[in-house]
Amino acid sequence: MKRRGFTGLAAVGAVATLALAACGGGSSSSSTGGGGGGGASGPSGFNAAVNGVVNPSNQKSTGTLSFGLSSTPDSTDPGNTYYAFMWNFTRLYTMPLMTYTSAPGPAGSNVVPDLATAPGTVSDNGLTWTYHIKPNVKFEDGTTVTSSDVKYAVERTFDRTLFPLGPAYFTFLLGGNAAKYPGPFKDRKKNLMGLTAVDTPNPTTIVFHLAKPFADFNYVAAIPQTAPVPPKKDTGANYQLHPMSTGPYKFQSYQLNKQLTMVPNTFWNPATDPQAKQLVSKVTVTMNMNANDIDNRILAGDLDVDMAGTGVQAAARAKILSSNTLKQSSDNPISGFLWFAYLNTVVPPMNNVHCRMAVEYAANKVNLQTAYGGPYAGGAIASTVAPPNVVGYKKFDYYEATTKPQGDPAKAKEQLKECGHPNGFNIGVSYRSDRPKEVAAATALQQALSQVGIKTTLHGYPAGTYYANFAGVPKYNHQHDIGISFGGWAPDWPDGYGFFYYISDGAAISPAGNTNISELNDPTVNSLLTKFAATNDATARNAYTSQIDQQVMKQAAILPAVYAKSLIYRAPNITNVYVQRYYGMYNYAVLGLKS
Amino acid sequence: MVTFIVRRLIATIFLLIVVSMITFAIFFLIPRLAGQTTYQLATQYVGRNPTPAAILDIETKLGLNEPIYVQYGRFLKALVFGEHYTSGTGSTYCPPPCFGYSFKTQQPVWPQMVSDMPVTISLAIGAAILWLVGGVTIGVISALKRGTIFDRFSMGIALAGVSLPIFFTGLISLELFSYKWPIFPNVTFVPFTQNPALWARNLVLPWVTLAFLYAALYARLTRAGMLETMSEDYIRTARAKGLQERTVIVKHGLRAALTPIITIFGMDLGALLGGAILTETTFSLHGLGLFTVLAVQNQDLPEILGVTMLAAFFIVIANLVVDILYAVVDPRVRH
Repeated sequence: MKRRGFTGLAAVGAVATLALAACGGGSSSSSTGGGGGGGASGPSGFNAAVNGVVNPSNQKSTGTLSFGLSSTPDSTDPGNTYYAFMWNFTRLYTMPLMTYTSAPGPAGSNVVPDLATAPGTVSDNGLTWTYHIKPNVKFEDGTTVTSSDVKYAVERTFDRTLFPLGPAYFTFLLGGNAAKYPGPFKDRKKNLMGLTAVDTPNPTTIVFHLAKPFADFNYVAAIPQTAPVPPKKDTGANYQLHPMSTGPYKFQSYQLNKQLTMVPNTFWNPATDPQAKQLVSKVTVTMNMNANDIDNRILAGDLDVDMAGTGVQAAARAKILSSNTLKQSSDNPISGFLWFAYLNTVVPPMNNVHCRMAVEYAANKVNLQTAYGGPYAGGAIASTVAPPNVVGYKKFDYYEATTKPQGDPAKAKEQLKECGHPNGFNIGVSYRSDRPKEVAAATALQQALSQVGIKTTLHGYPAGTYYANFAGVPKYNHQHDIGISFGGWAPDWPDGYGFFYYISDGAAISPAGNTNISELNDPTVNSLLTKFAATNDATARNAYTSQIDQQVMKQAAILPAVYAKSLIYRAPNITNVYVQRYYGMYNYAVLGLKS
Repeated sequence: MVTFIVRRLIATIFLLIVVSMITFAIFFLIPRLAGQTTYQLATQYVGRNPTPAAILDIETKLGLNEPIYVQYGRFLKALVFGEHYTSGTGSTYCPPPCFGYSFKTQQPVWPQMVSDMPVTISLAIGAAILWLVGGVTIGVISALKRGTIFDRFSMGIALAGVSLPIFFTGLISLELFSYKWPIFPNVTFVPFTQNPALWARNLVLPWVTLAFLYAALYARLTRAGMLETMSEDYIRTARAKGLQERTVIVKHGLRAALTPIITIFGMDLGALLGGAILTETTFSLHGLGLFTVLAVQNQDLPEILGVTMLAAFFIVIANLVVDILYAVVDPRVRH
């Protein structure tokens, strides 16, 4: 999942802070925000919202819950969005088939039914997934949601000219005519129901026929693209201006990329949507605000939530960390994001695994951590590719990232001998030149590698075209001898397949916009991912996560830098506040206001 | 005078066409000459992990694979005659002057710019009045009281105003008067038609911040102009003829000193109407300046093209107005 700039990543307390949170916060409730009425109970203090619910309350308020955003949504159309904060925010006005448990702690990564009555049932051959939808869910105009509305929502995402920004899982997971289906705007046949891979035998049943088994399909069903869209109300590219709500709030007005106002959806029934709450009389989002202005307004009480959820900026961070009072109202969760460098497996001499291992050993992880903002503002030093909040994560450390974080030049030189370059080699390094932290990281790596004779040439590129034109174009890397490329990654869903497929499966390598920049095409990794996708048993499936992680690290295809963390300020006025582990930010679906 | 205006308007149109050609070339032609393929260009407008087919679809939809002159011709046609764009279920009409269809938001560019204009116009006009009145007044007084404490103090402040960037003075003013002492809390744009009092209250800080920079510059310019003018022979003659000092200063001194001020004022106001980027960014005001920033960040070529054209239009028109005002202020121009 794409996440917006992490320029404001903030103070962190690594594992110790989590412990502190537990001490300061108590265990609190483990469900959706629990409390009965007044918001009198619940944990408080630094990191209190990481594992507990702060200000739990079901009390309704006549106030306005105001969000500020320093950028814009990629789209408010649930079928056309890929930003993490939007997947979180869309839960206020949509009900996809599945969603994530509204709860703090590890439970927040569990996928549970939303519009569906139960998780999908899979056929014995793994090719058919059946969902039954709740029979009494209504759109904001009072019409009842049917399975055809879900099918249509999926169909429209096939038109990549109108909806190019959302994920394309349905395009390659579904069978039937999915590979060539152009979407309902171009294929008007069969009453707009031309996608043969999805059946709707009755108004409450929807059946997906896959091209090959895919055990993670419940996660795919949790993407906002399965939120129902009534065909008659679809306005195509303009649907973003007023998506038909099935959630607790509906659009009242939306000035594109400026101001969104939502009001309660009177046809929403809390009994059918237990993962969301309707506690305020208005929700507003002001977009394109100055990021520092957002922080200051939240601190001043003029704004409630920074919608991007990536943490406060440096100025506010200093203010918060220097004030015990403010610090007690902040949280410092692991965001689920990994900052790292791809080590190219094709560009010579990096095509030799020992040359890549030399880079792994030589890198000074402390300097990389400092470059990303330090132990408080950047994150914890990473020794694995998967961050700790990926289901199935296991800690290991093949290259002494945590035991010798300053790097191990002796071992690096041993690896250089093994790869036939005992005196080092020359290689290009690419990074996003408009991201100061990445510039600092590239410089830090250059310095560390020079200690063992690896001479690097730095190539900075604009973030906007980094994947499209430079680092994400294998041919470009080959032509320019770029063997190390900085990047960041967060999964579309929090298990091993969701995290690893696009950055390490050989099948994911593409000529432009490539995210497997290492060009890793390792048979073991590919095979493990294939098995992962075909294993329906969750326990067995999640056991593959660490195996894949270890194999990627054995291949030294990725140099992990930090498990990103962010410092989020918790406005004292908001209720039901906790970090939803999957999103790495507060759960927007349940927020309320103190009266 | 009418012939003069018509001739300048025709020249303006040609100038805008040239601006459009240059802008178009910068963003559409030069990347190609530098080796960027249209496929790579299209990749920027698709989500993460796009399929090759999706990229090709976008390339075709945006017309990126067509010859540059065809794309430019289509742009000009839409500008003059408007254009229909498909939204999937129907078509959206973009009336002239249609600056194209945003690659990112999939909405016509012109209505988005129109909705941002009130913010920028409110900001620019209000600040311009403040800096013109304040700057010129201070400049005149400083010149007349040369060497006094007032002169030194005001010129010191003016130096600070010119030196301090808007994002600094803006943040300071927000910190003091919005966050710490909420005299002007929650600075957001409220349309004048909706609530004039709130419109003015919420714009006070941006106006003052923006005007502080320009007023400083105008005060120094006015002072220098007045000092030079007041030492001219005709001023001495006017005084010798027994004219009142006020008449000498305002009618003969200031009037002559205003000529360069009008020139620079026209340029400044025209440029600001095209977007006060720093002020709008600092105060989170969604005007044309912020629109420009986003267009560049998103590499949204139609938006960049549209806002460049609009800014050029404002500057050219402002220059036209300046030329007309010249004739009013300086009798020598009329003759």
